[in-house]
Amino acid sequence: MPYVFSRLVRPDARKAQGRPLVEFNGVTRAYGSRLALDEVDFRLEPGELAFLVGPSGAGKTTLLKLINRELRPTQGEVWIDGIAAHELKASRVAELRRRVGVVFQDYKLLPRLTARENVALALQVGDLRVSDREARERALDALDAVGLGDRGDSMPHELSGGQQQRVAVARAVIRKPPLLIADEPTGNLDMETAWGITDLLEDIAAFGITVLVATHNIEIVTRLQRRVLTLVNGRLVRDQPAGQTGRMAWLASS
Amino acid sequence: MAGIVLKARFPRRHVVEAVIRNVFRYLFQGAARNWARNFGSTAPALSSMTLLLFLSGLIGLTGFALNNLEQIEAGQASMLHVYLRDDADPTDVFTLHNRLALDPRVATVDYTSKAQALQHAQSVPGLPQLAGASGSNPFPASLDVQVKTIDDVAAVDAMARISPAVDPVYPTSYDRGAYQRFQSVLLAVAVAGIVFLGLLGFVAVTVTINSIRAAIHSRRDEVAILQLVGAPRWMVRGPFIVEGAITGSLAGGAAGLVTFGLALAGIAEGSASFSQFAPGVTVTAAAAAGLIVFAAGLGLGSGSSLLSVRRHLES
Repeated sequence: MPYVFSRLVRPDARKAQGRPLVEFNGVTRAYGSRLALDEVDFRLEPGELAFLVGPSGAGKTTLLKLINRELRPTQGEVWIDGIAAHELKASRVAELRRRVGVVFQDYKLLPRLTARENVALALQVGDLRVSDREARERALDALDAVGLGDRGDSMPHELSGGQQQRVAVARAVIRKPPLLIADEPTGNLDMETAWGITDLLEDIAAFGITVLVATHNIEIVTRLQRRVLTLVNGRLVRDQPAGQTGRMAWLASS
Repeated sequence: MAGIVLKARFPRRHVVEAVIRNVFRYLFQGAARNWARNFGSTAPALSSMTLLLFLSGLIGLTGFALNNLEQIEAGQASMLHVYLRDDADPTDVFTLHNRLALDPRVATVDYTSKAQALQHAQSVPGLPQLAGASGSNPFPASLDVQVKTIDDVAAVDAMARISPAVDPVYPTSYDRGAYQRFQSVLLAVAVAGIVFLGLLGFVAVTVTINSIRAAIHSRRDEVAILQLVGAPRWMVRGPFIVEGAITGSLAGGAAGLVTFGLALAGIAEGSASFSQFAPGVTVTAAAAAGLIVFAAGLGLGSGSSLLSVRRHLES
């Protein structure tokens, strides 16, 4: 088991309080006259791994952007780790984003920085008190945890797609956020590499981090048998608990 | 969990050092590196701002000199020379002197004899020849009246010219429109200068805003990543403002040096005539102008960048 994740474990006060980590209450988001999300309600508990599925344009990315406060809801409430994201001022958005790790389909690594520097960046911009030595060592720990301990000095263009995505995962968890959101993290990867990334996300959830993955990859969703939220035309049409997702043949044909 | 190494927290003994190092790296070092990298898009802003600041410095110094000239002119315009008849009765002269000296609108009254008037005329360029051409002394004796405010000169003049001691042909030095004409010219010059500076300022601010906008555009991915990993707003916006400050301070520094150098050259070359032409423009005034130009560059660069960042950088 990668030891870096063991340090992410912490006594979970939220569970004791019974407060969900993510809470959407009647959330609607409109772009002009078009509804991207329509009256969405759901909750995610600490340590939960859930998939967000649906056809293109269903509102998955919009939902993730609402969590990360890249967008504000037109109506309704979005609570993240006790923070009211729906009414958060622009000057305080960074506070929220430090509690949310983000992984993208296109990795979004800074091309001028090495893998280690990309990971360390997330640590130091969020906490200026972190020294270079601490940032370097913790970044190498995180890279080691995702299986890239020996590639810390590599530039992003020297890494494969799967390796770049691992760096992105290391960057997302280095600050021990309570929530990790991933938008099509396996979208650019072959199946074998995609399984590696999925295993990594499972490991992260096992250590108490809530993970929400937006994906089109039905094979991963059906094999993992985790909770599945299905969006269609902006509406949350299904919320299947873990172990009850079945073969999801209906989704494959949608 | 067998075999898992749990490391202790890193000691935070050097917190201040780490904070300073990180702020310097993310705010200043990054801004300087990006400024150098984007020099091509910054160059137009740098050159237009340098030109603006240099012209501002020159116009500022000229305005300062004109303001001093206006003060001198106001002082001269409120000095009323009451010319006395050559055959004036000393009692009349004494009476007039007393009446003027007791007037609350008058600051001082001095008597200048014909001999003193001739002596003074000989020190004024062109007049010695006039004085020499005439067999006798053509310059009249006068009472030199310093009126407290320029607005009262006309009333004091009206009171003085009715005295029997005063020359009936050319009673006083009072010229009703001279000072007003001078003020009108100064006002026109000031308005033209301000409009010109405003236009140049608008151009410089617009060019700087656009250069920062181009910098934001070229680094939008980097900005997006910083925002997504939770960088505070000042850390995202700060480097762009520092970039603007670098542009402004370089432009201000160059323009300030040129302004100072030109003024210094003028002072050294022109000596006495320069001080008449541009009164008050000393080495100290030139150095102050250079510093003001530098500070204006710094403010203009950072202010324009702040405007651009507020307008073009989303939270």
